[in-house]
Amino acid sequence: MDPRPASAGAIVTRDLVKTYNGTVRAVRGVSFEVPPGEVYGFLGPNGAGKTTTVSMLTAGLEATSGTAVVDGIDVRKNPATVKRRIGVVFQESTADGDLTGRENLELAAALYGVPRSEVRGRVDGLLERMQIGDAADRLAKTYSGGMRRRLELAAGIVHAPRTLFLDEPTLGLDPQGRAGFWKYVLELRHEHQMTVFVTTHYLEEADGMCDQIAIIDHGAIVASGRPSELKDRLGGDIVTVRPVASSPALREVLAKIPGVVSVGEQDGSLRLKCSNGEALIPAIVSAAVGAGVGLQGVSLKRPSLDEVFLEFTGREFREDEGFSATDRAVMVGRVRERFGGRR
Amino acid sequence: MIRETLALTKRELLRLGRNPQAIVTSLLLPILYLVLFGQAFNFGNLFGGDSAAFVPFVRGAPTYFSYFSAGMAGFVAVTATLFIGANVIFDKLFGILKRIASTPASAASIFGSRLIAGSIQPIGLAFLVLGLAYALGHLGLSGLQVTAAIGPVAAVQIVLAVVILSVMFAALFLAIGFSIEQPQTYFAVVNAINLPVLLTSAALYPWGILPGWFKTLASYNPITLAVEVIRLDLFAGAPQYYPESAWVYLLGLLGWAAAMILIATLLARRALAPRQ
Repeated sequence: MDPRPASAGAIVTRDLVKTYNGTVRAVRGVSFEVPPGEVYGFLGPNGAGKTTTVSMLTAGLEATSGTAVVDGIDVRKNPATVKRRIGVVFQESTADGDLTGRENLELAAALYGVPRSEVRGRVDGLLERMQIGDAADRLAKTYSGGMRRRLELAAGIVHAPRTLFLDEPTLGLDPQGRAGFWKYVLELRHEHQMTVFVTTHYLEEADGMCDQIAIIDHGAIVASGRPSELKDRLGGDIVTVRPVASSPALREVLAKIPGVVSVGEQDGSLRLKCSNGEALIPAIVSAAVGAGVGLQGVSLKRPSLDEVFLEFTGREFREDEGFSATDRAVMVGRVRERFGGRR
Repeated sequence: MIRETLALTKRELLRLGRNPQAIVTSLLLPILYLVLFGQAFNFGNLFGGDSAAFVPFVRGAPTYFSYFSAGMAGFVAVTATLFIGANVIFDKLFGILKRIASTPASAASIFGSRLIAGSIQPIGLAFLVLGLAYALGHLGLSGLQVTAAIGPVAAVQIVLAVVILSVMFAALFLAIGFSIEQPQTYFAVVNAINLPVLLTSAALYPWGILPGWFKTLASYNPITLAVEVIRLDLFAGAPQYYPESAWVYLLGLLGWAAAMILIATLLARRALAPRQ
């Protein structure tokens, strides 16, 4: 590894701007820093400026102004050097359908200058690892969507880059395909301390897989931080207390519990905003018992990124896909269970 | 640079080889010309079956069909190279070109590999057309009659003519492919080029019946230049009818190829540079 100051980010941008035709401002002064080895998610709806930002960082698109430094190299000044050091997986499927999986990887290895003596070993290793070894000598056009994506991931890392860019990498994949894809990305991150920059408009991916996220909307970052921090900024958890009968006294008692930030009322239930709802539930129940108020139920809701997005953009996040919340939960759960995350 | 170019050339050749319909389609038109047009227009019949009387009109070729066969070997360079330009468009549509451009591979190797791969196929097909034209003569039809003894120099000249012509058209179609985004537009442009290029060349017409202005026009046509070389080397009677040696025609052809490569390189470089 090249020597690099410990404080330097793997990806650093300052006031990065992209204006098309002098008028359309696709990216409006984006600044962020990705620490080495982290998975950084760029979350935003379609058209927010995610792909434009990735294209500028990967030297596929010239920035109008601002700076972008990847792995210590200024992208605008040395695009060719940056290309050698990074791996890219594009939004669209770019595997060469007329080549076999193996040929796709061998081509990528040659283009990235992988030493000839290492090509075979690396290609075989990646094919096995991505579970396409059995299909290695089949034309890529016969692959399923998930296999193609894994092949594209393999092609993006065949030269063992230190920074990997993934632009909407799981678009169009079913939950299993997504889980499989992320499994490999997180494994690689852990093994090679690879920095991963990923754009997504899937909230569950941003929440479950990324160490840090930036929410981008209309070409500007409206919020950034660790997913848990962003959610904390909303004022913490919501505990909903449903008394058997309306009780002003209960409201007063609950408001006095240390840790409760505010108490609101909605449809006969009391909504308590608090920093750590789970720990407060026993105190809430005790307070209700002490006040002589019977409870029908107590529920805890942690703020989600949907609410974070709503808070910072004033709009609800819309995902243009059709799988259920259960699918998402299953996928995130599976990957977290096996590989965890650094949070 | 060399490794990238070779790897990308291999990729192009694998793709071309795995789509044999492109080869069949490239051959279809020249073969139709050979077995229909060439047979029907074997002008020697105009002279009461005395082909020899027609020899001056076809610049020393023994028959019109022989003269015409050399023309078709040139024409196949056009029909077989247009796919390499179309592949650029499809690679753009499928994001493959974007992915290749995202690697450290230089624009020169991306363009160069396509130029090499695009030229190899037509070279083979040109000789296939000549072979077929020759074989037709043994199947009871008019066929190509080679009347000159082909020595090493002539062989080299013929190969060079086919190679340079193929490279030139591959560069032309790559230039179009790199500057156009939609397949429909590409094929419209290519169709608008193909027929005029063929029809302003001396591939089809007996030279002796052409009006002066047409001869001037045709003599600068790259297909003519390549075909003249082949005719000069295949037909013993030809040299007396041509004002220049085969090398001069090759030099003219080389000029065409150089100009086309220059234009195509600039357009490819622009297409592969980071977008503005």
